[in-house]
Amino acid sequence: MDETVAEYIRRTVLKIPRDEIKMMLQKWGFLSEAQLETVNFRQMKDNVSQDVVQLCEENSADIKQAAVLDIIYNNIYPNKRIWSVYQMNKTGEETEFFDLTDFKKKFKRRLRSALKNVTINFREYEDNAIWIRIAWGTPYTKPNQYKTSYVVYHSQTPYVFISASVLRSNLPLLCQALVIASNYHDIREMELRSHSLNSLKDIVFKRYSQNFQTYYPRPLPERNVAPETDLRIIQENRNEKERIQRLNREVFGDGPQPKIEFAQYKLETMFKSDPKMDVLDKKEPFRCLVKFSSPHLLESLKSLAPAGMADAPLSQLLTCIPQKARNYFKIREKKGLLPGSFVSP
Amino acid sequence: GVFAHLELLEERAYEAAVKQEEMEQQEEKLARLKTRVQELRLQRDELRAKVDLQQKGQLGKEGAVSNPAQPSARAVLEWKIKSLKAMLQIFYLTGISGKLSKRGVCFCISTAYEGTYLDSFHLDLLTKPEVQIYRHSVPIFIPLQQIAKKYLQTDIRRFLSVLSDHLNAYVGRRYQADQLQEHFSGQIEGTLQRNSLCNLLVFNYNVSSESKTFPFNVRLLYGDPCCSLPTEVVISCTPDAPAPLAEMAAAHSDLFRRVALHKAFRSFGSAGERVD
Repeated sequence: MDETVAEYIRRTVLKIPRDEIKMMLQKWGFLSEAQLETVNFRQMKDNVSQDVVQLCEENSADIKQAAVLDIIYNNIYPNKRIWSVYQMNKTGEETEFFDLTDFKKKFKRRLRSALKNVTINFREYEDNAIWIRIAWGTPYTKPNQYKTSYVVYHSQTPYVFISASVLRSNLPLLCQALVIASNYHDIREMELRSHSLNSLKDIVFKRYSQNFQTYYPRPLPERNVAPETDLRIIQENRNEKERIQRLNREVFGDGPQPKIEFAQYKLETMFKSDPKMDVLDKKEPFRCLVKFSSPHLLESLKSLAPAGMADAPLSQLLTCIPQKARNYFKIREKKGLLPGSFVSP
Repeated sequence: GVFAHLELLEERAYEAAVKQEEMEQQEEKLARLKTRVQELRLQRDELRAKVDLQQKGQLGKEGAVSNPAQPSARAVLEWKIKSLKAMLQIFYLTGISGKLSKRGVCFCISTAYEGTYLDSFHLDLLTKPEVQIYRHSVPIFIPLQQIAKKYLQTDIRRFLSVLSDHLNAYVGRRYQADQLQEHFSGQIEGTLQRNSLCNLLVFNYNVSSESKTFPFNVRLLYGDPCCSLPTEVVISCTPDAPAPLAEMAAAHSDLFRRVALHKAFRSFGSAGERVD
């Protein structure tokens, strides 16, 4: 077995939390149950990985098989990478019959015709997700297995989720291969990025809970329920609290919010100040970048009004994120594209 | 003396003022109630006129003359219940229900396949300035925009009907594929290749002949997006397979075109397909 493959497997196993190693190796299926039984998974991870490499040596693993283990790891822990969403377009209106074999063939052919040194792996999952792992090389060097790009594509949808590696120069080639393989015409990057792949899918596939008014029965609030709170406590602003709850519900829905970590607003608006102050000599847009960061931005926005930190309803610029499927905005003067909102000093 | 007298007068003046105020308040209240009674009477007359008009309209069609006296409250209630039941019946039969919202209408399309209720999908439509889709929960691989471009502005009923057909067919195909994977995984060799729309299925399954098993490779193409049965079935077997197998392949191919996928497999099991 190649030394580089051995090292790659060893490092991949080291990334996996110790309690999950056995499960992932089983999913991988490259080592038999009997072989797995011989490994003591309770020892130090260093030793576990050495044992695993030893077994892979016995089975003569090659890089393609090692790559599968990497896909499995990234599929279970996708949140370690940043994912961008790309949207594809086509003009034809015929029904698509997505043929997986055809897709894989076209994709590989396009990539390999431009760049001979690439490692390409595919893995399909139950939810119709196709995971593609690409390790990039150059015309003169072998593929670098540590600088990989990941692509997740659901058939017959116009969205592709890409976690590019550092080598962004290969992105145009990757995009081209995707467009050709999936029978679309062009592709563009959306202004939507996050660590949480599932949340990005929720946003573009519209799987997050939107509050639709239907006749489906909602449990009615009990009328004669004894109040749980102490009767000595008087709620002063009950009406206001209820108004805020109602507005919040209308905007955010009842279910959990998609998980994004930041929203960025690039302002290209004019500085508005008291004319007498005359702060800026030239009438130029005042460039400013506002970035909201949070472990879970949308949930924190949802809790702003009930916590009394902001007025309800919140600005549309914040609440439109799932619906507009973007978290990077450019705000220009009102004549521009977006629901203009000025930032007054 | 004088002060006591003044106090008395003051008291009397005060009481008179209070009484005056009370009377004024009473009069105000009376005036308010009188106007309210006027309003209610007006409303009642309007409603009566409406009911009369409706009755006359119906009678006009039948050509009979009945007593134009105002309908009883009971009759009105019965009419309301009847029309509500009819509405619910429509919802139940078509799976399409709607509710007026602040800015338009919100539709819910419920899907089912052969008696099993499956997913529900929602559409929030705006009606001004023109009919447009505000938001929805239709899966991205259903050609919603195409269907909307064709029918939404001109014929909303047709739009809903076509969309409902697409959705029902999709969940039907998906249901069959899921059932196949769940209940007949033993007969399937390898993985079932499918896609998001479930309109192309490729898999291998085993058939037995002369106490030997042979793999069949089948490719099901569902050409009609509004149909849950395949339009094209291609079954191929290995070159060394015995001749009677070709007949079986043709029979299976025909069966897949007519019968739901999981039901076809169920019939294989029970019939004990054997060719000797």
